[in-house]
Amino acid sequence: MMNGHNSESDHTKILEDEELQRLLVPDVCHLPLTPPSAVDSNFVCYFAPDFIKPGHDQYVYRHANGLCVIGLAPMHVALQDKGGVTAVDFNVGKFDRSGIKVTGKRKRNAQHFEHNTALCKVCTNDNSYIVRCCVKGSLLEVNDRLIKQPKLLNTSANREGYIAIIMPKPADWLKIKASLIGPEDYKNLRALS
Amino acid sequence: MLNEVESAEVSNGDEEAQMISVSEEPPITAGDEVIQALREGVRLLPPQAVKDLLSIGVCVQCIFRLFGVHGHNYSCFSILQSNLYAVLGELIYLDKQILDNTSPKEYSIRHSSKDSEIEPPICSICLGILQFFYYDDKEQPVRKNCPHDLAASISEVVKTEGHQIDNFSFEVSIPPIIVENEQAVRYVKFYLKSVPPIIVENEQAVRFYMESKYGSEPWFHNTFRPECISVKDALKLYVVTPLAMSLDIQSSPSSFHVRLTYSHAKASSRTNFSEGIQDSKRRKAGEKMCSDTKKSLHGLLEDESSECCKLPLEKVSQPCSLSITCYRKPIYIGGRYLKYSRNVSQTRWIIDDERMGEASVEEIIGGTIRPMCRGDNYKFHAAGREDIDVRMLGSGRPFLVEVQNARIVPSEVAINDIEEKINNCKKVRVKSLKVVGTHGWALMREGEMEKQKQYAAIVWISRPLEDEDLQNICALKEMKISQKTPIRVLHRRSPLEREKIIHWMKIERLAESSQYFLLHLCTQAGTYIKEFVHGDLGRTYPNIGSILGCMAEILQLDVTDVKMDGFNTD
Repeated sequence: MMNGHNSESDHTKILEDEELQRLLVPDVCHLPLTPPSAVDSNFVCYFAPDFIKPGHDQYVYRHANGLCVIGLAPMHVALQDKGGVTAVDFNVGKFDRSGIKVTGKRKRNAQHFEHNTALCKVCTNDNSYIVRCCVKGSLLEVNDRLIKQPKLLNTSANREGYIAIIMPKPADWLKIKASLIGPEDYKNLRALS
Repeated sequence: MLNEVESAEVSNGDEEAQMISVSEEPPITAGDEVIQALREGVRLLPPQAVKDLLSIGVCVQCIFRLFGVHGHNYSCFSILQSNLYAVLGELIYLDKQILDNTSPKEYSIRHSSKDSEIEPPICSICLGILQFFYYDDKEQPVRKNCPHDLAASISEVVKTEGHQIDNFSFEVSIPPIIVENEQAVRYVKFYLKSVPPIIVENEQAVRFYMESKYGSEPWFHNTFRPECISVKDALKLYVVTPLAMSLDIQSSPSSFHVRLTYSHAKASSRTNFSEGIQDSKRRKAGEKMCSDTKKSLHGLLEDESSECCKLPLEKVSQPCSLSITCYRKPIYIGGRYLKYSRNVSQTRWIIDDERMGEASVEEIIGGTIRPMCRGDNYKFHAAGREDIDVRMLGSGRPFLVEVQNARIVPSEVAINDIEEKINNCKKVRVKSLKVVGTHGWALMREGEMEKQKQYAAIVWISRPLEDEDLQNICALKEMKISQKTPIRVLHRRSPLEREKIIHWMKIERLAESSQYFLLHLCTQAGTYIKEFVHGDLGRTYPNIGSILGCMAEILQLDVTDVKMDGFNTD
């Protein structure tokens, strides 16, 4: 009697597991060869070519929730220098940007910066370049990994090498959006394949 | 008139029936034996004191309360108020001393009041509550003649709501002025100093008055007890049994409540209210009046400036407004749910008047349960949550639906019907659905923070998968990772770095692909899985990409197990 009961519930469990397996395993032929990246799926990508200074190409990835990730676009002059980026310094302007501590849901203590406020200095063997906010808003975070790993800018400036995250007010975003261009236009502008 | 007085003098302890026959005999609907018993109870009361109380506007029910007259007063529900007044009237006007001092005119007026031609004034203590006199919800004055009639009105309200019930709890809420005054008898000192003169002191003042006038009488401390049943308790004694009979159910602790809420315009005019209530709440209920308090009572009586003993009491011109309500306390129906759709959010999700996703688990489940219980509202609670595009599979996620004021508590059969109905929609499935007690809450909360969650993700990497990779991943046990608040929720959550544990991982190869695979993993509650796979721009570290040394993306995520002990079928 007991055994019979056990095998019945085991049987149900086996059926459930099979069903689960069936649900989990995808039909591979329906999967794309190369899926869109997390950035492409979750952000709208904009570019600011020659931002303030010629050759200072920056990107702005805007999330649906309004946050903006700022970074160096592929044709930024710093990335063309021989040897690439060697150091990143957040101690520009009045204080060290990597020292800010933003807390709470309301993001207190966040510094309010203008679109042309300096974020950091990117150094190569021969030169140094100022990276700016691009978007007016509250600075939520800088990528302090760049301090120890400046080479991230050479390998993945568009991902792990991002510079900072800024939260603009809706009105401020609309103002700057007008001067930004999309990925296709940027490619054409810089004659990239 | 003169004749009536003469006969009264003559009768002197003879059959009281003679007294009644003096004027027209009113129909006594309660049995004669009941009236007899009442008379017995009343016999020992001091006539002068009772007359006094009547003259300052205290109702007969409150007089019975103050003097501790119980018995048939509460157990016969069809005693008319006029009967009560008649019995008291007899007591008073049988007393020779009183008769000597009563003018014939006054006597006849008093005597004929039992014919209900002259309605007694609104009681200055209970504001008409025990006299069953009130304004109904249409603001019409209503007078009920006996407890049975009041119970009938309440019964009607309950029947209209249509609850399926076996028992009920009875609650009464009365204007604080009455409560405060009753408590004030015990908590005198603090209270007196804060009461504005305009307020009627009700029972307390009456007690002061009685103590000052009759305190030295031999009967005083025996019959006029400092602790007596409260207005609330008296009302409950009057009403609960006839109500239970009328509804054909029992009065016992229940999730179904019948509530009488009395409110009075004057009672809310106090400004020093909260002070008084706070002080009185500090004392325990039922504290007997000790000798110290009595001393202070006397002290205050002598104090001219003390407004509390001002008599006559302000006449109360309006009764209370009564609101009769009934409701069932929330019931809880719990179980586990599965979500098969990637376009159904867990809870209602509306941005700018537009719904995100095509439906929500909350509405599918709650929206089916609520009407089957005929409840007013529902609330949906789940042990954790998943994104709209993440399926909830396997054993399912525990949830509770709280139904407010359910008219029916679903039976097992009804529960099965609900399960079937929900499961038919295919997008969501429920298991182990059943009515749970309030302990369901504890089960849920416990599940959220501590338990482990199991997932299956479809992962793509930027290079072909090697056997080595499977081994490396499998070898990682209880791995600590650090997650900065994901960018996708950073706008509404604090920017923090949270340490999480990945308990174990397993790669399952997919037959036709070298760069796609199924990743099974078991993690600590609160881990962001998507970010663990793609790295969230390096803000979650380590991540799958960093472990395998390439780029990794997540295409799909499913929750395969929420490990929680509760909410399973036995």
